[in-house]
Amino acid sequence: MSAHSHVDGKLPHEPEKATLEGRNKVLGFWLFLGAETVLFGTLFSAFLALRHQVGDGNPSSQELFELSTTAWATFILLTSSLTSVFAIQAMHTNKVKSMIIWLVVTVLLGLGFLALEVVEFATYVDEGHKFSTSAFSSSFYTLVGFHGAHVLFGVLWISILIAQIFKKGLTVVTAPKIYVAGIYWHFIDVVWVFIFTVVYLMGKVG
Amino acid sequence: MSAEHSAVEEREKHHKHEGPKKHIIAFIFSILLTIIAFAMVAAGEINTTFIYIFLVLMAAIQVFVQMGFWMHMKDRGHAFPIIGILMGVFVVFTIVIMAEYWAWW
Amino acid sequence: MAHAHKVKRYSGLMDWLTTVDHKKIGILYLIAGGFFFLVGGLEALLIRIQLWKPLNDFVAAHTYNELLTMHGTTMIFLAAMPIIFALMNAIVPLQIGARDVAFPFVNAIGFWTFFAGGVLLNVSWFAGGAPDAGWTSYAPLATNTFSGGHGVDYYVIGLQIAGIGTLVGGINFLATIINMRAPGMSFMRMPMFTWTAFITSALILFAFPALTVGLVAMMFDRLFGGNFFEPTNGGNAVLWEHIFWIFGHPEVYILILPAFGVISEVISTFSRKRLFGYSSMVFATVLIGFLGFMVWAHHMFTTGLGPVANALFSIATMLIAVPTGIKIFNWLFTMWGGSIKFTTANLFAIGFVPTFVMGGVTGVMLAAAPADFQYHDSYFVVAHFHYVIVGGLILGLFSGLYYWWPKMFGRVLHEGLGKLCFWTFFIGFHLTFFVQHFLGLMGMPRRVWTYLDGQGFNNLNMISTVGAFLMGVGTIVFLLNVVITSFKPRNATNDPWEDGRTLEWSIPSPAPEYNFAQTPLVRGYDAFWKEKMEGKKEMLPAEPLGSIHMPSPSILPLIMAVGLFISGLGFMYGKGDYGDGFKAFLFNNHIVAIIGLAITLACMFLRSVIDDHGFHIEPDEITGDKGVKA
Repeated sequence: MSAHSHVDGKLPHEPEKATLEGRNKVLGFWLFLGAETVLFGTLFSAFLALRHQVGDGNPSSQELFELSTTAWATFILLTSSLTSVFAIQAMHTNKVKSMIIWLVVTVLLGLGFLALEVVEFATYVDEGHKFSTSAFSSSFYTLVGFHGAHVLFGVLWISILIAQIFKKGLTVVTAPKIYVAGIYWHFIDVVWVFIFTVVYLMGKVG
Repeated sequence: MSAEHSAVEEREKHHKHEGPKKHIIAFIFSILLTIIAFAMVAAGEINTTFIYIFLVLMAAIQVFVQMGFWMHMKDRGHAFPIIGILMGVFVVFTIVIMAEYWAWW
Repeated sequence: MAHAHKVKRYSGLMDWLTTVDHKKIGILYLIAGGFFFLVGGLEALLIRIQLWKPLNDFVAAHTYNELLTMHGTTMIFLAAMPIIFALMNAIVPLQIGARDVAFPFVNAIGFWTFFAGGVLLNVSWFAGGAPDAGWTSYAPLATNTFSGGHGVDYYVIGLQIAGIGTLVGGINFLATIINMRAPGMSFMRMPMFTWTAFITSALILFAFPALTVGLVAMMFDRLFGGNFFEPTNGGNAVLWEHIFWIFGHPEVYILILPAFGVISEVISTFSRKRLFGYSSMVFATVLIGFLGFMVWAHHMFTTGLGPVANALFSIATMLIAVPTGIKIFNWLFTMWGGSIKFTTANLFAIGFVPTFVMGGVTGVMLAAAPADFQYHDSYFVVAHFHYVIVGGLILGLFSGLYYWWPKMFGRVLHEGLGKLCFWTFFIGFHLTFFVQHFLGLMGMPRRVWTYLDGQGFNNLNMISTVGAFLMGVGTIVFLLNVVITSFKPRNATNDPWEDGRTLEWSIPSPAPEYNFAQTPLVRGYDAFWKEKMEGKKEMLPAEPLGSIHMPSPSILPLIMAVGLFISGLGFMYGKGDYGDGFKAFLFNNHIVAIIGLAITLACMFLRSVIDDHGFHIEPDEITGDKGVKA
């Protein structure tokens, strides 16, 4: 039952599920994502309820949003999701080096996404779309900002995990952490799919 | 516990080294759906209700594909993750209906 | 298993601050929840003193608003839920034959963040005024326009911190029940209390995030100039009502379901019969949990959502009466023909049944939307929800505490004092709240600090106040019982009620650190009873005696909670409370808040990089204990 009971030099095919601790971690994290679903869902619903409350003289969503920026952000995040899958696949075949490389690529893409978002927000603020401008702006920044904060947390988290892999190697203790971080990263991507659809594309339509 | 262990072993035997091919296909599919959605909006001049439904449908399909392949939800042993996410989606569904119909009514 | 990691094991106070043992965390929850229960009870008594005669001026109107807000908030979030978690922590792992919970460390985080949030909320009393916008904190009353000062800030931030604790606690129990059951303990063999703990945890999982979002939005409105609920800038005050009740209604079931579980266990044990209709009981629990998410707008009938919405929510609400009715009949049929023992625990359980039915009936009355227009915001509603929460949940919790006290502390509570506690509390409860139905029907509005003479309210209010004091006496008798019992020798047997049916009664009282020396093999529902019926005194072991791996204690959960506490205060006082100077610099730039968050994140970092190897309890150490065979 202990964290070490299954280690005998060779890692099993799915090291994240080799121990009860690992299985608990994966299951508990999935349950947490169920809660995150409701968290983002509620943020989405607040945004949906308030997105037309722009106020007089403030820039509307059609005027603000640039489809090209959103497209780039989407492309970057989607690609990072793919690279994190490659990392998990490398982990399953016990290729530690290629796993680390894919994780580093994932982190770099995440940073790229964040940079785009910061620039985007700065532009909006210049155009008079501040957090306190209108109900639309408050709900917009809260929803997209919550997602951005999740990306930032993911970037920091995966970076720490990369450092741990260097120090401790891939074991039945570190493998569930990597797996769970991978699931988290996909979830962020899934949320973004709805953000670009509901916030940006539907905002562009009107 | 022992039943679970044998299930794990069985899984190991069945698909030992699944290649990156499926994931790359899922990626291309996601990109395609995204491009279609963006193109619809860029084209403009389409019925608003229709385009809303269309966009949400594109997003739903994409998310379905990503969760199935990248988050391994199609694999065995994911009953509780699926229940958890579905229940979350159900709650979100009611909240979104609230926001659309009963926040301003 | 040649890992010779030396783990520091603390004793005394440090043991309690660093513990990750679910049984000790359960006791911590009980102490903290019990403390807040007394605080909330004191607030209730002050409310009742103010209302004992017309035009009383015992407290000022503003103080009354604070009292009623803090009474509701404290009782729901800081008293009822923690005591539920106390029982869940103490009992659920034992009932499923587990050595530990799935995430012992996270469990400790759950307790300490709840406690930090609770303390933060109550600090408001000494920091210029408690929250005063009602436990629902409706916008626009709770926005800056109508609630300046920091009262509501304490509400939104304190509840966010406490909410984190509750959420992770819920995840912990879900994972524990799914993954950690003993061999043979299938879902349909789980004791009823474990089932209700499972569904309650699921409701926590899906309801609390909605509250968090509502609180965050309210916090942004109040602290950073957001416009979610600010109508002048396009915000929507009704949106808060929706979000609050989308959380708030499932919360009601989060509270009551564990009480249902306790009652099922107690009635079955003291009737010496298998629980009648176990599978229908499970089905009803799941159904109540599911329907609980589709009825929130019945709190908002008078908001004006229109006839279609009102009709839908009205019907959905009435539907919930069906599974609840199934449960009531199951309890009655369990008692039917049983050889009933009227212990204190069973008195509370039997008292629960008719009391809860009364609360349920007024619930169906309120569910009829047109009638609700008459009842709304009157004392009828107050009577209704106190019948389900006090008459339902609190009676259930008392029942559970008397029942499991020996398993938690190794001492049986005194039965004579217990019965005195039951009768004073029970009679006091009905005196307090039964008359409030009529006060409501006569038109007395809730949440108003006084009333005029000559409206026929005087006598009924007087009766209600007397009843409230009787409940206070009952609570004091309970505390006396606890104190007196704690001086008695720790001599409870494994199965002090002699009719224990579930696994927790097969191990010593109190349970040893590792719960089960050998994981038991479960061969049916009411696992221990089944063995007893076959003439055995113990469970069959599912494994040989071996060394047991235990998680190491940690101070990090406490420090994480302290970090959140500091951060909460930092955000709150960033509104320019301090003119200039160093203090203003620290708070207005959110430096204090960021330091607090940094403390919490640093703890998360440490937890991630430092491997927890835990320690092992060896077989010779186990066999040295009493009552465990080799």
